[in-house]
Amino acid sequence: MILTTTSTIEGRPVQEYLGIINAQSIIGANIFKDFLGGLRDVLGGRSKTYERVIEEAKEDALREMTEKAHRMGANAVIGVDLDFETVGGSGSMLMVIASGTAVRI
Amino acid sequence: MGLRLYVCIMKTWFAEYYRSHGAEPAEASVLASEHELSFTWRTEDGMIKREQWNINDVTVKDSINEGSVIKTASVPHARLVIKGKEAALFIKDSKEEKLKPWHKQVKNKYAVRNAGIFLGVAGVLVIAYFLLVPWFSEKLASRVSIHTEQQFGDAAYEGLGIAAQQDERASAIINSFFDEMHIATPYAIRISVVKDNTVNAFALPGGRIVVYTALLDKLHSYPELAALLCHEFIHVNNRHSTKSIFRKLGSKVFIGLLLGNAGNVASVLADRADDFKSLTYSRSLEKEADLEGLQLLEDRKIDPAGFDLLFKELKRSGPASAMPEFLESHPDIDKRIAYIHEEAKGKDVEENETLKAIFNQLKINK
Repeated sequence: MILTTTSTIEGRPVQEYLGIINAQSIIGANIFKDFLGGLRDVLGGRSKTYERVIEEAKEDALREMTEKAHRMGANAVIGVDLDFETVGGSGSMLMVIASGTAVRI
Repeated sequence: MGLRLYVCIMKTWFAEYYRSHGAEPAEASVLASEHELSFTWRTEDGMIKREQWNINDVTVKDSINEGSVIKTASVPHARLVIKGKEAALFIKDSKEEKLKPWHKQVKNKYAVRNAGIFLGVAGVLVIAYFLLVPWFSEKLASRVSIHTEQQFGDAAYEGLGIAAQQDERASAIINSFFDEMHIATPYAIRISVVKDNTVNAFALPGGRIVVYTALLDKLHSYPELAALLCHEFIHVNNRHSTKSIFRKLGSKVFIGLLLGNAGNVASVLADRADDFKSLTYSRSLEKEADLEGLQLLEDRKIDPAGFDLLFKELKRSGPASAMPEFLESHPDIDKRIAYIHEEAKGKDVEENETLKAIFNQLKINK
């Protein structure tokens, strides 16, 4: 399965467009991560705890999109776009939306 | 590497799919999880087909010429050929992983580790909340100057709005009663008798003690009044109010830092936890005031039965409380009577005529 942000794949023309797909992952950093992240906010510097949460959410969204594409019979997703948003009452949860076009190459 | 372990392990490859011996290969897109190999391919007539092979049923051969050659018992003669060794390694690892006990499987191992870290951090925070924060708050409270405490106390007294109901004559007499006990203290003790029907007395930071007339009316002997004043004096002298205020503030700041804007439910729960904690603390302070107050009576050879009579009077006049002891700010009165009895055994007692005279003057004034 090829996932790419480009709209074409070098040397492999699209034979069939199967449709637009998307997948999302919403992850809450637990209160300890919030606490550590809060300290980073005060002390300055990179917050590895939050970075890992973002990475985890992105991996989850892409994995789910791959599974969806596979179930549709696709062997590639082109034009993949990733959006990062915060959700929840106080914006304490992180949402990653992956979208793209499932194709057969 | 560490990150992949949080999510379900999944791999994808392109493969050549041979449906039978001598068949032309078709390009297949393979999605492998820890449980199965799922792949799609296009048939000669252009249809897209999907097939799933259970990972337990497949055999894999790592061939130098071809790559990873995968077969399954459920479809004889069919084989998937994937370039490189990665697929063969993945299948081998997945099969081995399934044979391990649950707590040693990679995903569970890290879940167990994370749960351990979570409980550890939670434990540290609980210890900090129940031990370190109160300890640090009390340290801070003990550094507050007496002058500042007096300002606190005066502000609180003004805020209560009871100054207008103060009984000046009774206040003067009760202050002379306290002075006659000759208790050494850096605080300027100012006792106010306030006209009110509530049977109560309390201490404010910095030296102010408030006694309601309804409680004074219930007292029949000077040791009872001495016991009451000594109890309240210990609250002042040991900075109980200031410590309580600092402990409450410390808890609020800690919870604020920890939860931030974590929502109303969390903060309400934290408030309730705080209330329970401060109730336990206030009970321990009351006991300290009882016992140290008793010591003051003993040092002055005043009858410790004053405490006994005071508590019995409070019990008689107080409304029967439906609350269990752990919900009350004061210890259960029967328990207080019991430990006072225990402490007061066999102590020397002398009649103090001066105190008795002042007390009688107070009663006559009534």
